[in-house]
Amino acid sequence: MKNVTANEIKNLIQIFDDSEWQELALQVEDFRIFLSRDPNSAGAPWQSTQTPPAPVASAPAPVPQQPSSVSAVAPAQPTATPKAESAPIPDNYVVVKAPNLGIFYRSPKPGAAPYVELGAEVDNETEICLIEVMKLFTPVHAGMRGTVRHICVEDGEMVEFDQPLFYVEPAE
Amino acid sequence: MAISRLFIANRGEIAVRIIRAAHSLGIETVLGSSAADAESLPARMAQRTVIVGPAEATRSYLDERLIVQAALGAGCDALHPGYGFLSERAALARLCEENGIAFVGPRPETIEALGDKLSARRIAEASGVPLVPGTPALDSAEDACAAASEIGYPVVMKATAGGGGRGMFFARGPEDVKASFNKASEEARAAFGDGSLYIERFVESARHVEVQVFGDGEGNVLHFGERDCSVQRRYQKLIEEAPCTIMPDTVRAELHAAAVKLTSDLNYRNAGTVEFLFDVERGEFYFIEVNARIQVEHPVSELISRRDLVAMQLRLAGGEALDLQQSDIVLHGHAIECRVNAEDPDHGFLPSPGRLTTWEPPDMDFVRLDTFCSQGTLIPPYYDSMIGKLIVYGNDRTEALLRMDEAIRQFSLAGVKTNMPLQHFIIRHPDFHNNLITTRWLEQTGLQAFANREE
Repeated sequence: MKNVTANEIKNLIQIFDDSEWQELALQVEDFRIFLSRDPNSAGAPWQSTQTPPAPVASAPAPVPQQPSSVSAVAPAQPTATPKAESAPIPDNYVVVKAPNLGIFYRSPKPGAAPYVELGAEVDNETEICLIEVMKLFTPVHAGMRGTVRHICVEDGEMVEFDQPLFYVEPAE
Repeated sequence: MAISRLFIANRGEIAVRIIRAAHSLGIETVLGSSAADAESLPARMAQRTVIVGPAEATRSYLDERLIVQAALGAGCDALHPGYGFLSERAALARLCEENGIAFVGPRPETIEALGDKLSARRIAEASGVPLVPGTPALDSAEDACAAASEIGYPVVMKATAGGGGRGMFFARGPEDVKASFNKASEEARAAFGDGSLYIERFVESARHVEVQVFGDGEGNVLHFGERDCSVQRRYQKLIEEAPCTIMPDTVRAELHAAAVKLTSDLNYRNAGTVEFLFDVERGEFYFIEVNARIQVEHPVSELISRRDLVAMQLRLAGGEALDLQQSDIVLHGHAIECRVNAEDPDHGFLPSPGRLTTWEPPDMDFVRLDTFCSQGTLIPPYYDSMIGKLIVYGNDRTEALLRMDEAIRQFSLAGVKTNMPLQHFIIRHPDFHNNLITTRWLEQTGLQAFANREE
C-alpha cells in the first residue's frame, strides 16, 4: 500500500460506519488504521507501550479531541432528536426550561433508557431529564400534564439557565 | 535518581500547588489538561500542557490509559495524581509502575487494600487501632436490622466500596433501615459497582479528626499532627484546622501513635491521612479510613509544621531518602482553612459556575490562598465547585480566628456566588469560637442560624 489516498480511507470509514462492527483494525505493510465505536476502546491490537497511540496534542491548541485520536469514528446517534427550530411551535405548547446552567442528560445514567421519548405522557411530577453542574445532578420535572412534543437539546449538551429543553402539549 | 519531568494528572488549585512545588525543586512540569482547562492557570504555569481529552472528566481526567500515554508521550519520569479523579485508583499507580513512571503516592497494593473500607477496617484492627463497633457486609434489610439492634441504635449504613456519602444513611430505628436499605444499596451499586453495605454505631457528639502521615515505604512513618475537620455538610468538609484544640494531650498522643502504627505496619509510602471520629463524650477515637493521597486540607498541617508536604512527596518519589526524625517535626501555632466554593449557600448550595468579575484577595500577613483563580477567570461547570482555599496562621486559635475573620472581610468576590458569606458566619459564630461544634453542627444548627441571619 504505497499510496493510500484520502478517498480510500474515506471509503474504509464508510464501510465501517455502515457495518455493525465495533472495531476495525487493518494493517497492510506499513499502513495501519484502527477504527472503533467505543471511546473506551483498549486500542488497536498492535498498540503496546512500545508504540504509544499518542492520544495527545500539545498546547496551545485547545481543541476538543476524541479521547483517542485513533478511534476516528464516533457512533451514530441512535435516536435523532428533532431540533425545536425545525418546525413552528404551536401556541398552546408549554416550554420546559433549564432551571440552571449545566449538562443536559436524557437518561438517569449512561446507557439507561431516556426518562421520556417523544410522545410520552407526562404529569407534574414526571422526571424528564437531569441537569448536572459541578457534580450536582438536578432532576427536572415536567411540571404539567401533557404530551412531550419536542426535545430541543441533544443528550450531553451544555444548556444555559432558562434555555428551552422540551415542549409539552398540555392535556385537555 | 531525582525526578526530571513531572506529569500532573489533575486540575485547579492542586495542579497549581504541585507545579509550584515541582518548580521549587527544579523539576520540569507537564500538565495533563482537559480541553476545558487549556487556558487555566496551571496550564499557563506548566512548561508544557497536553490536552488529554474533552471537558467531560470520564474522557479526560478519569481515563488512566490516556493519562499514562500522555505522560509517556511527553517524556515524563514521574506522575502526581493530586486528589480526587484518579488519585486513589490502583490501576493508575500500577500502569505507571509498568511503564517506568514513578507514581507520586502509595504502592498500588496499598491503595487497593485501603480503598475497600472493610479491608481497611481489618487492617486497622490488625494494628490494634480502635474501630467504631460495626458489622461485615450485609445483604438485606432484615440482616441489617438484626445487626443494628445488636450494636444499638442509632447507626449509620455505609457502602463497603466507596465514600463521598453515597450509599450512606442514618437510622434511628429498624423502620429507617427498612425504608432506606434498598435505595442506598442501589446508589452504592450505581456509584461503585458494588451494592454491599455495612453498619457502624453512630456517635452522637463526634469530631472529625485526622492525622497527616508521611511514610518512606519501608516502615518509617512520620506524623505532622492532627487536623480537626468537623464543619461539614453532607460529609463534605468546609473548614479545617490544626491542631484539634479540644483534644486532651494524652488522647492526642494515642491518636498520633495509632495513625503511625497502622501506616507503618503497611510500609506505607508517601503522604496519607488517617481519619478518625473523636467521641467527645467518651473521650475515645475510632478509625474511619485512610486517604491514600495528599488531601485538600494539607496546608493547615504545612503551616503548623513549616514543612512543604508536596515537595516532600516529590523528593521521596524521586528516590531520595526520608532524612527526617519525628523530633524534627515541631508543631507550633494554629492554622485554619476555609474552602472557597462556587455555590450559593442561600439557595440550597446550587453550584455557580461562570466568570469571576471581581477577585480581590485579602492583603494581609500570615494568609495563604491556594487557588487557580484570578480576576476574569472562567469557572467551568464540569468539575468540582471548590475554587480556592483561604488559609491563615496564628500563634493560637484565637489569633487565627481573628485573622480569618479579617481575611474573609477583605476578600472581594463577584461574578459567581460563593460560600464565603456562610464561611464568615461560621467563623464568627459563638459555637465555633467556643469550639463546641460537632460534625453535625452545621446541618443541625449552623445552616438554620445562617438562614435567619440579620445583615
